[in-house]
Amino acid sequence: MDLLIRIAGEAGQGVQTTGGLLVSTFARMGLHVFATQSYLSRIRGGLNWYDVRIGDAPLFSGREAADLLVAMTPQALATLRPHVSDGGVVVFDGECEGNCVGIALEAVAKEVGGSAVMANAVAAGAVFALLGYDLAPLTEYLHVQFKKKGAETIEKNVACVEEGARRAASRAGSLAAPAPTGKAVTVSSGTEAVGLAAAAAGVKLAASYPMTPSTGVFTYLASVADEYGMVVEQAEDEIAAVNMICGAAYAGVPAMTTTSGGGFALMVEGVSLAGMLELPILILLSQRPGPATGLPTRTGQQDLLFAVHAGHGEFARAVFAPGSPEQAYHLTRRALETAHRWQSPVILLLDQFLADLVTDTPPLEAALRPIDRHILARPPADYVRYAVTDSGVSPRAVPGSGAFVVVDSDEHTEDGHITEDLEARVRLQDKRSRKAQGMRAEALPPERYGSPDAETLLVCWGSTLGPCREAVDRLAAGGASAAMLHFGQVWPLDVAAVRKAMGRDGGAAGPKRIVVVEGNVEGQFAALLRQVGALTDCERACKYDGMPFTGEEIAERVKA
Amino acid sequence: MINPPSDNTPAWCPGCGNFAILKVLDRAIEAAGVDRDKLVLVSGIGQAAKTPHYTRANVFNGLHGRALPAATGIKLANHGLEVVVTSGDGDMYGEGGNHLLHTLRRNVGVKMFVHNNQVYGLTKGQASPTSDPGFVTKIQTHGVVLAPVRPLALAIVEDCSFVARSFAGDQEHLEAMMVAALKHTGGTVLLDILQPCISFNRVNTFKWYKDRVRPVSSDHDPFDRAKALALAMEWGEEIPIGVIYRSKRPSFESQLGVLAKGTLVEQFEAAT
Repeated sequence: MDLLIRIAGEAGQGVQTTGGLLVSTFARMGLHVFATQSYLSRIRGGLNWYDVRIGDAPLFSGREAADLLVAMTPQALATLRPHVSDGGVVVFDGECEGNCVGIALEAVAKEVGGSAVMANAVAAGAVFALLGYDLAPLTEYLHVQFKKKGAETIEKNVACVEEGARRAASRAGSLAAPAPTGKAVTVSSGTEAVGLAAAAAGVKLAASYPMTPSTGVFTYLASVADEYGMVVEQAEDEIAAVNMICGAAYAGVPAMTTTSGGGFALMVEGVSLAGMLELPILILLSQRPGPATGLPTRTGQQDLLFAVHAGHGEFARAVFAPGSPEQAYHLTRRALETAHRWQSPVILLLDQFLADLVTDTPPLEAALRPIDRHILARPPADYVRYAVTDSGVSPRAVPGSGAFVVVDSDEHTEDGHITEDLEARVRLQDKRSRKAQGMRAEALPPERYGSPDAETLLVCWGSTLGPCREAVDRLAAGGASAAMLHFGQVWPLDVAAVRKAMGRDGGAAGPKRIVVVEGNVEGQFAALLRQVGALTDCERACKYDGMPFTGEEIAERVKA
Repeated sequence: MINPPSDNTPAWCPGCGNFAILKVLDRAIEAAGVDRDKLVLVSGIGQAAKTPHYTRANVFNGLHGRALPAATGIKLANHGLEVVVTSGDGDMYGEGGNHLLHTLRRNVGVKMFVHNNQVYGLTKGQASPTSDPGFVTKIQTHGVVLAPVRPLALAIVEDCSFVARSFAGDQEHLEAMMVAALKHTGGTVLLDILQPCISFNRVNTFKWYKDRVRPVSSDHDPFDRAKALALAMEWGEEIPIGVIYRSKRPSFESQLGVLAKGTLVEQFEAAT
């Protein structure tokens, strides 16, 4: 069984703090967690909410209906009460009737804790009472969270929790809640997973310009920069950011930048530069709906074809699109390894949904395990940077190691110097292009979930993984025969492998229906699959309202 | 395929000021005792930006206007390298203007040698950010209206570590300025080098500059910011050349605690 708690209020009211407190405590209690955020592009006011779904089995998606709504403002109550499930309960900071418990959250916090800030502790106490949970794990966690702030802060927060629970006592245990296992579950957000993977892989320079929803990774990197020995620099603009990491990569350290669609648009000439100079750079492109400024704090998958095609001229690149925090960790590392093995730009696609998503994640390796940069320690006396090879990969040296390293954005000869020799141009373009073949050969195959001989196959990429997986389970529970194919790497694509995975390679009868599920208008991944010749017939389930897919939504649409 | 001839000789017009700058750069590298293995010449795009190809050094010839962020990334990755940007006024003051401003603020140890001929050469004669008002081109057909960038003044306002000007027609002076710049260790260097363009600038000719440049007086205190700024604003019958301004501001990289343990490259290698 599972249950969804929705904390809603104005920006600046502690919605995120309350949600975070619940997530951390539930995970320590051994509940499975899937938490998502919905917020506006403002610092104060408006209506934000934080959904915490808990279950006695792993969860893969959010859902629309809340079983318990904590409304901190009248607007939150008015907007979200209609989306409370039958039998659900509401906690409102004010007076209310029916299925609603009125608790003056801020007033109680002031009275008991001496500050309105502790309204989140009052709310958490009320939530625990309504779910019939023992308060001990919550107060224990407050001891951990406020250890540095001292005994007084802890006591006040605990008092607020207890008072919140008392105020909700009349309906204590009125919601059927999943039973905690007592065995702590570790959780991670997509943001933390990417940041940790990058730091542990040995990224030494991160240069970025802040842009939602990528800023979290940039902030995470800054928070661990001293620990891992990393320079984190706020560049004057995205153009500077991408050129800084090109410079750092040239000089010999793994380097990355973080951005969203608009910032990536500014970086595009730099992507082409990395293609020409054959520099290993990693760009985190955390998507939000466009065009232009679009919906800054919402989610979408509209930048797939942009990432795959970004940059003038033709050059090899890889694009990864993890579907969960755990995958985000592993694919961030793989993206860095791919960039270095093939001396090419690599793009990691995230989006607001996955960046902010917090869910069960096995412990992620935090120890520094530097990737292989594939650099010559002692280049030979006759070293040239762009020696022509079968694989297209030229032995790479860095400045200061005994041989001149010459790179040029102009077409160049093997020694890196500018040329207008057209034979050299063809030779060097062919060399660079050959790398794409090797990258294609080692492209990650899509991962399948569900029945091996399913009649309906859902195809998805990136953050749609979890909701599609839940949809497959829902369809199967309803007697349908469904499976899912998720692409964690969306470029390059090994067409033969993709056709085989989709049951479209001319072998045994494949699925009757293929539905490509993605967060954009035009069906970009479906178009890409058709472009490379991996797919001819498919249906599409697209969504572009700025909110993430849910499992129930996909199941409904596929059923129809 | 018809393959037109291509060689590695400089792509500059005979008589171009870039030849003198290249020759003096080579001399200054030797005179300052710079280890060429640890020297990286960085440039963007333009005629001056081709300079790194014609000498012996590590070279990063990047995108138009983007020499400074690339140079910053190189310096941060390995602050043991001597990172010198050799590029033109269009590249550095125009397309890369935002990077100039913020590199000066950062005071990262990157040395800019800007070949300033007050005109766009590679695109054939349009106005540059330093073209004087009234300068007529095929685009600015009624003459330049925009106020010129005053690079030295801009650098002084942002407290740049070392600000100087020289003239490609005075090789002895230019060498002295380049050597002083290469020996400087405090942070960002801006050396603006006046340079005639014989093909596209018929106003600011060799003679025009020659008649106007005058070395700053020996009693000028480059640490006096107000006087330096006044000197930097002088542009007319007399144009001061020499070390205009110096600051005691520590370099960006010297203030990053993480770099105290060694360069990032060294730290990465130590961890493997």
